[in-house]
Amino acid sequence: MIDLFLYIGLPYIAIIVAIIGCYRRAKYSKYSMTTRSSQFLEDKQLLWGSTPWHIGVIVVLLGHLIAFLLPQVWAAIVSVPWAVFVIETVGVAASILALAGLGTLIYRRVTSARIQAVTTTADLLVVALLFAQIVLGVLSATHFRYGASWSTGTVVPYLWSLLTLQPDMTYVTGFPMLFKLHLIGAWLFILLLPFTRLMHILAVPFQYIWRRPQIVIWNTARRRQQAVAATVAADSRREFLKGAVGVTGATGLLAIGVSNKALNYFKGAAADPEAESALLEKKLRRLELTAEERKYELERQRSSMILVAPYKDLDPLKGKYFIDYKMAPGLAFRGKDGLPVVISAKCTHLGCTVSSTLDENGRVMCPCHVSFFNIFTGQPEGGPAKDPLRKIDWALVDPTGKALITGVAGNKPEGTATPEELAACSLFITKPAPAAV
Amino acid sequence: MNLKELLNRSGTYLAERLPVEKMNYASMVKKKEVPVHRLSWGYYMGGLALFFFMVQIVTGLMLLFYYQPTVSEAHASVEYITEHVPAGGLVRNIHSWASSLMIASVLVHLLTCFAMKAYAKPRELTWVTGVLLLGITFALGFTGYLLPWHQIAVNATKIGLETIEKVGDYLPGAMSDWPRQIKEIIQGEASVGQATLSRFFALHVIILPLAIFGVLGFHLLSVQLHGMSKGIDENPRRQEKFFPTFFLKDLRVWGVAFMVLFVLGLCLPFESLFPYPLFEPFDPKGSTPDGIKPEWYFFWIYYPLELLPLWVILLGSAILGGVLLATPWIFKNTSRKTLRIIAIAAGVYLVVMTVWGDAIYHLLKGQ
Repeated sequence: MIDLFLYIGLPYIAIIVAIIGCYRRAKYSKYSMTTRSSQFLEDKQLLWGSTPWHIGVIVVLLGHLIAFLLPQVWAAIVSVPWAVFVIETVGVAASILALAGLGTLIYRRVTSARIQAVTTTADLLVVALLFAQIVLGVLSATHFRYGASWSTGTVVPYLWSLLTLQPDMTYVTGFPMLFKLHLIGAWLFILLLPFTRLMHILAVPFQYIWRRPQIVIWNTARRRQQAVAATVAADSRREFLKGAVGVTGATGLLAIGVSNKALNYFKGAAADPEAESALLEKKLRRLELTAEERKYELERQRSSMILVAPYKDLDPLKGKYFIDYKMAPGLAFRGKDGLPVVISAKCTHLGCTVSSTLDENGRVMCPCHVSFFNIFTGQPEGGPAKDPLRKIDWALVDPTGKALITGVAGNKPEGTATPEELAACSLFITKPAPAAV
Repeated sequence: MNLKELLNRSGTYLAERLPVEKMNYASMVKKKEVPVHRLSWGYYMGGLALFFFMVQIVTGLMLLFYYQPTVSEAHASVEYITEHVPAGGLVRNIHSWASSLMIASVLVHLLTCFAMKAYAKPRELTWVTGVLLLGITFALGFTGYLLPWHQIAVNATKIGLETIEKVGDYLPGAMSDWPRQIKEIIQGEASVGQATLSRFFALHVIILPLAIFGVLGFHLLSVQLHGMSKGIDENPRRQEKFFPTFFLKDLRVWGVAFMVLFVLGLCLPFESLFPYPLFEPFDPKGSTPDGIKPEWYFFWIYYPLELLPLWVILLGSAILGGVLLATPWIFKNTSRKTLRIIAIAAGVYLVVMTVWGDAIYHLLKGQ
């Protein structure tokens, strides 16, 4: 019977009384809907009492409200173990902050003579009840852990059953006494709402957040002067706080973002066997290429003849690249007379490598600055290049190692060969005579 | 004029330009003020360049953890940084974006200082060190471009260095071979290869940064000693404290710059602005690919170089270098109005050549 009253009767009475009471008070006594501020009488202790109290209690209340109003969302959040952990930690921390603030406020209320002068019985009742309610809440939270999680299946359905006018108290009758008291306390606060200063919850002056600070003074000349100084100080403090919050927040975010990236960067790549072996393979290939080039270099220092290609591989239109004795690129074509045309491929303008394809005028082009060269004479034909491509000494060598025909730059080729002999030959470049270097 | 008098005179000259008696907390921090006027934004540019330089130091050191300066490994290691190292692509991206932004802010700093006549007595040496810093910054860009050892970079570097050799055509007798020798000293061997990479690496990572530290130290010290230049002809409406007011504003600009840089680095690969695939390692036997270009900050000299005979460019750059170094004396008596017009003209030239250089080149070449 008593349960029936406490869990169903009391809630409905409290809600109905609160709605009617708040409506009447808002309508007939609008200016009484305040927190009855006493900042004017005492402001130092108030700062250290009111601020932590409000921050703490707003965080806690928001948690309760979200769990009640958005049960599905809340259930989804608390299904993650670490999220419950975070929520519980934040909740208890905020409660303790609120208790500390409230403690300061109670101390101030009972010790300051000025505050005593304006204190009503209802004020004392409210602070005492609030203190008790939060202590009960913290105790429930620490005795029966993970309330954020278990309340979704018990308290929330109970509250919704009240709201949908199908009251069902089976959810809550089995609760431990500690928690029952916390629940009853909650209904008491709703009941008290229209009759006490608690009603200021419904008249939160949000515009104060953006409003410039105001200072209330006794209206005398001296006080007015002080007020100007105080306003300036308050203004600049406000600006400083805003700036400091912004800078701290931004720096924090920046530090988190940057250090996350930087730490991972220095930690290095996660070992992925496949990627690693692909990488290793690529590196090996590059090393082989470098080794090959070093071999070329050595070969060009030591040997008097270097193989370019078998004669039959030479083409009249598509040149064959090779590396000449100066470690610069060269090109070899088959000329119209069947003899090789061997020429440097290093553009005489700025040293790019000319392309290997002949155009219809028998020219190759350097792609860098569009210079054209006649490959038979080496002379530039259009474009910024002024000097001819260097001719390279060559020799056609038969399989026995005998040079059948040799060509030295500036001279006519010497020697003869039959087409059959030619087909078996290979094209070599020959080391220039020392005088020519 | 005997030696003693000469020494005395140069002593007085230096004492005026480098007022060491002001080297104390009171005049360098407490008293320093920044004029507030319509060109005040110019005062941020030097600081911005400094900020990007600091970013370059940090990201450059980070890249050093993975980069390998050999012809066979360089390209693979850059690829490894970009593709495998966590946030490696971001770090490399920030490094390349910040290099461009650093050069851009250095150029704007140059033009604003010129337009505001910030080089006027006693700040001549500040200006000259600034010009040196500009040169070092360009050199950093040129040397850094080669390090990934990809087709475009190696070939562009080749062309850049061959241009030095071409100067020989204009020199008489034995001197005509000097440019080629200078080129080979820079590249370390007959053609661009491992020796070049090693040298450019040393230049980019140690020598040029050290040079910047030295010159920048003098530059910043003299800025602190002389305070901000007035910047406009009339007296500014008001001054604000350098510390903390302007300093905080500077930090705010740096914060915004970092955010822009970070977002750019995250979202927009620097290479995406290029029309060619960058990730081809240099192949010494292959033919030179099309579309070899230097980085955008060399366009202002690259396109004229493509269009005009070399001697015009040589003469032009010699004059430009001389004028830049001697600006405090050449433009000693020029009014700020004229200076502003010259600076705007120079700025327009830089923008036009950088943005539309390619179009102009094709227009004039008729291709």
